[in-house]
Amino acid sequence: MFEARLTQGRLLKQVLEAIKDLVTDANFDCAATGFSLQAMDSSHVSLVSLMLRSDGFDHFRCDRSLSMGMNLNNVAKMLKCAGNDDIITMKAEDSGDTVTFMFESQNQERISDFELKLMDIDSEQLGIPDTEYAATVRMPSGEFQRICKDLSSIGDTVIISVTKDGVKFSTNGDIGSANITCRQNTAVDKQEEQTVIDLNEPVQLTFALRYLNSFAKATPLSTSVILSMSKELPVVVEYRIAEIGHIKYYLAPKIEDEEMEENDG
Amino acid sequence: MKQSSLAAFLGSKAKRPAVAAAVQASAPQDALQQKAESVPAKPSPKKRVRKSPAPEPAKTFQAEAGPKLKRLRKAGDTVQPAAPEGIEDDMAAAGLSGSRSPTPEAAPQAIASISSTQDADHTEAILTQAEDQKPSSGAVLASAVGTDDGAATTPSASEASETDEDDVLEIGEAAPKPKTKRASKGSKKENAAPKHKKARLKQGTLEGGQLDAESDGDGEGGKKKNPAKRPVLDSKVVGVGTKSLAEAAHHNTFDLSTLGTWQAGKPVPFAFLADAFEAIAQESGRLVITRLLVNAFRTVIALTPQDLLPVVYLCTGQIAPSHEGIELGIGDAILIKALSQATGKSDAILKQQLKESGDLGIVATKARSTQRTMFKMSALTVPFVFKTFRDIASMEGHKSQERKRELISKLLTSSKDNETGYIMRALQGKLRIGLAEQTVLVALAHAVLLQREVGNAKKAVDAGLANRLEEASQSVKQAYSQCPSYDDLIGTLLEHGLENLKDRVHFRAGIPVKPMLAKPTTGVSEVLNKFEDIEFTCEYKYDGQRAQVHLMENGKVSIYSRNAENDTSKFPDVVSVLPQLLRPGVTSAVLDCEVVAFDRGTQQIRPFQVLTTRARKDVKLEDVKVHVLLFAFDCLFLNGDVLVEKTLTERRKALESAIEPRQGVLQVATSKTSRDLAELEVFLDDSVAAGTEGLIVKTLDSTYEPSKRSSHWLKLKKDYMEGAGDTFDVVVIGAWHGEGKRTGVFGAFLLAIYDDDAEEYQAISKIGTGFSEVLLKELADSLREHIIDSPRSYYKFGKPEPHVWFDAQKVWEVKAADISISPKHQAALGLVEAGKGISIRFPRLVRVRDDKTAEQTTSPEQLADMYRNQAAVNHGKQAADD
Repeated sequence: MFEARLTQGRLLKQVLEAIKDLVTDANFDCAATGFSLQAMDSSHVSLVSLMLRSDGFDHFRCDRSLSMGMNLNNVAKMLKCAGNDDIITMKAEDSGDTVTFMFESQNQERISDFELKLMDIDSEQLGIPDTEYAATVRMPSGEFQRICKDLSSIGDTVIISVTKDGVKFSTNGDIGSANITCRQNTAVDKQEEQTVIDLNEPVQLTFALRYLNSFAKATPLSTSVILSMSKELPVVVEYRIAEIGHIKYYLAPKIEDEEMEENDG
Repeated sequence: MKQSSLAAFLGSKAKRPAVAAAVQASAPQDALQQKAESVPAKPSPKKRVRKSPAPEPAKTFQAEAGPKLKRLRKAGDTVQPAAPEGIEDDMAAAGLSGSRSPTPEAAPQAIASISSTQDADHTEAILTQAEDQKPSSGAVLASAVGTDDGAATTPSASEASETDEDDVLEIGEAAPKPKTKRASKGSKKENAAPKHKKARLKQGTLEGGQLDAESDGDGEGGKKKNPAKRPVLDSKVVGVGTKSLAEAAHHNTFDLSTLGTWQAGKPVPFAFLADAFEAIAQESGRLVITRLLVNAFRTVIALTPQDLLPVVYLCTGQIAPSHEGIELGIGDAILIKALSQATGKSDAILKQQLKESGDLGIVATKARSTQRTMFKMSALTVPFVFKTFRDIASMEGHKSQERKRELISKLLTSSKDNETGYIMRALQGKLRIGLAEQTVLVALAHAVLLQREVGNAKKAVDAGLANRLEEASQSVKQAYSQCPSYDDLIGTLLEHGLENLKDRVHFRAGIPVKPMLAKPTTGVSEVLNKFEDIEFTCEYKYDGQRAQVHLMENGKVSIYSRNAENDTSKFPDVVSVLPQLLRPGVTSAVLDCEVVAFDRGTQQIRPFQVLTTRARKDVKLEDVKVHVLLFAFDCLFLNGDVLVEKTLTERRKALESAIEPRQGVLQVATSKTSRDLAELEVFLDDSVAAGTEGLIVKTLDSTYEPSKRSSHWLKLKKDYMEGAGDTFDVVVIGAWHGEGKRTGVFGAFLLAIYDDDAEEYQAISKIGTGFSEVLLKELADSLREHIIDSPRSYYKFGKPEPHVWFDAQKVWEVKAADISISPKHQAALGLVEAGKGISIRFPRLVRVRDDKTAEQTTSPEQLADMYRNQAAVNHGKQAADD
């Protein structure tokens, strides 16, 4: 038996919005520790890892670990029917083939049940190692979203370079090029408005903007975003969800330009 | 559940570290580990953990590798070191590095075995080399047991540019070794075996040559050239050529253990099929191609018979029987988008490359990703690819383009090496490896027969085998022509073999056959000559569209075109009225008919062009403006009885007993049986006066031969007297800009015919006269959308080249004054005169044939026949004049 109750139903809606563009079908794993998901997009270029800890729920019960395969678009469809302030409860039997979403309005006047059919999804358990990253940038998530959006109107890829002074996002396209630099800024009082760079060594990596724009859908979940990068490794784009967990996106870098030219030549 | 790791990024493309020295002769595994470790930025040790799912003959891995490792083989090796297990995934997952030279390496000459004759040696060397040149071939971690191997590995940075997903890294000896002892062959095979599936197929063939050489001191090459040397060949079997006998002898060399690269019962890896395609593409000889395919099919039958159906479908470039109308043929634009998504390369670059190479398959193969992946995709399997193809083809509705692109992109990302190119081509709907459907059928028949008779055991073949193989081919071809559905055919073959195939797979209502076609003639006298002692009859040749009407027992009516496409929704009027026109007691029937446009007011047949104005599908009964009349002339099936093998006389009787003709709706084709020249001439004139194209002359005792252009049916057109025997169906592949009055439109067009064997379009003539201005504008408008930047690689043409090229789409029917030998045009090249093609002179456009596809033009063989006929007639005339 699995049961999890979340007062801020909005959060679950936002989580779904933040992953459904990237992944079509995925297994949600329920365990005593919490509710999690790990999945790759169809091209295996990016990976999303969601963790909602059990202690972040108002009520969380999981007798046996379960893996529930769902089509994320269908989940999103159901969650769209929940009001932003509704309390959402998820329920599933251990050997059942459905999961139930229950939405209760705050004043308990309206209670709705949505039952979603589960599906069998073949998935690999992917081991993600903890790594020391060469550079970590924490910046306002809205700023990051805006940069990705602006740059993608100019080009397809972004070069992110981190130095001790700041982080630079550059792109190139048919119509021209663009560079946006965010300087280290710890002067502001509010932590969420700071840009903090933690650097062991300068890094420069190239990514497809398409994916970063999908990641930025998680912006409503957190005021700041943390980018962790090391040479040759996927970037980690992490949104911490207050008091309950996180969404981490991993994106494999592109092969750099000089080599692209070689390849193309 | 598989465990992979992020180590993907490990081996990535650190800039060309010196791999060479790392590979130590005595301890290749350590060396590799060192290499892996020497790469910067390696995450946690966790990456080493991996459960190896299925036991594979040898571990494979992706090499990191700036420097290009020359593919080398260590000759004389008997050790087969497996790649260290832990490393495999580390590097494999990287999926990003590895080296490949963009062009096939010419360098290392593989080891050819010594056979007793020059020929044999020669042949083998070529075949082996071909294998070497497989552009994407990975290298086998052969061995480093020798001493100087490591050092011999030459880094060659310039060629290392392309990233690759090669599974296997081969390290061996640098010096080319054209020939060594036979013993080395064995080891080479072992070494090459792990993932070189294509190599294996090849080896099957090579071995064939080899064993022959052992048995009678004659290699493959020698044998072909000199069959008389082989005693077994002297025992001739009626109807089977010596070549077939020699071929049959090859089958005793089939060795499942070298060919089968996967576990019995597991899905067939797509790589196996791609390698087979690659091997086939490099061959031009029909017999060798058949043998390669037989080996592939036998392997599939032996290990995973349930995958034979998708394998065969993929070989034929189809995904469902043609009457189901599920076809791939995805447009270039969406394929480029998907490729761009999969590789991270921009559309513009890919389009540019497509312009340069003209083949999306090549573009896709070259466009290895600039985008790394998180984890390696699992290898493609035949059933998965086939299912995805079907999903793509049958997808429609909201966002279907987008979803298609997703699926295609996923296939492309999962594919590696030569798989990518074939996936691309299959999606386009054409493999272009020179594999004709007939060859597939023959190979299928042979494979089934051999697996049933011999199984996997190596057994000496007896003299009768060639004969039995030939019989098997005939019966499979026959069965398929009567019931063109691989689902039926293969299911039956696997279950029951070839015995009583005819009774199990036969024509039936609901599955259309390709219609029987008629051969052109030059005039009444030729008809009389050809059918000198045979009873024949003449029918009007109506100027319309072929329609095969299936009336099923459940009352359902289906109408199929000459391409076996379902045209039912185009003729709701026919569908609604037909059941009323059946005679009492008729429960099911299949009628061969011609549909013509019909004016109910004047009771006149209207020209073909009027018929083409009818919408192509989903016509509503109340919207029908162009009325049609159905002329039935044959009956293939009646009340459960198959009639295709009955004589025309019997079939006509059946036709009459099946339907009650109704004026203006369903009529029986007007016919006349006579031997009198004058009477026939009059009948021909009548037919033309009645608005038809002429006559079809049929022998009365002939059976119905589906899909054949049979000599039992001859067509006789009035205008034959004026020029060449018949009109030609040609496809427009290019055009010249018009001048003067024709500025702004095209002034002349380059016409071509399609050669099914070579899978190419061969230019036949330039056409530039006889167009009205209006027509030229119409033609230009309809052709503009098919403009391509450069000629396709499969266009064959001479000079001068046209100004613009078209995708081969538009089929025109043209009339010509004369057929002549041409040094310039490439049509039917070499069929009549070596090195020369055939051209048609003074062509004039008769009409645009929207009902024909670009592959249904007049064939080179037909063209050559027509040339010979014309020559014969001219000769006859001259003789008469003299």
